Amino acid sequence: MEKPLEKCLDEIAHSTGVSGVLCADHKGLCLGVRGKASNASSGTVAALAERVAMLEPGSLDPVILLESDNSQCLIHRNSGITLAVYKSPETS
Amino acid sequence: MAEEMRRNLMELMKSTDDVLGIIVTDRDGVPILKVAEEEAPELGLRPTFISTFNIATDQAGKLGMGRNSRMVCVYGRYQVVHFNHLPMVVTVIASSVANTGQLLALDSQMAPLLASLTNVVDV
Repeated sequence: MEKPLEKCLDEIAHSTGVSGVLCADHKGLCLGVRGKASNASSGTVAALAERVAMLEPGSLDPVILLESDNSQCLIHRNSGITLAVYKSPETS
Repeated sequence: MAEEMRRNLMELMKSTDDVLGIIVTDRDGVPILKVAEEEAPELGLRPTFISTFNIATDQAGKLGMGRNSRMVCVYGRYQVVHFNHLPMVVTVIASSVANTGQLLALDSQMAPLLASLTNVVDV
């Protein structure tokens, strides 16, 4: 049942510049994780997506970019599923 | 020091959305440290409820997957997350709409506090 999701996470994780992927459900539980992403972050990622969506009620869920000195994290929620993609700086 | 620990736990509870109570007990449900909002279900804070986790975690440990470390129980209006740190047990009571992943992440945030409390409980 989870094979399509696993395949999708594998494809994203093998994309250029991607160092990690995390997928969380609407309750903040981890559906899948690859690379440097940690399943312990699933709750925070889902909570962030929910909070940021409140900035513009009624609009489509935004894409969140978290940037640090050595990496980026892109977070987007769609239909209750939140995806976080960790990227390394050389391809940002 | 006890008051400082209680304040620490209170801050943790208030910093996480929809958390109604956090109770640190021994395996029999006797409270060591407790913080709770007024909306917390009173029955859920009692030793008779919390001590049922002891039986459940023992049984869960016999399923062939090793020691049971965490348990999430979701009810109609509330959800309860138990953490097994025997001889201590941590029980987090939250609204059913709370972010379960964030509740589970409280385990690592409470580690320093639990380390201080370990000496309190007789083995």
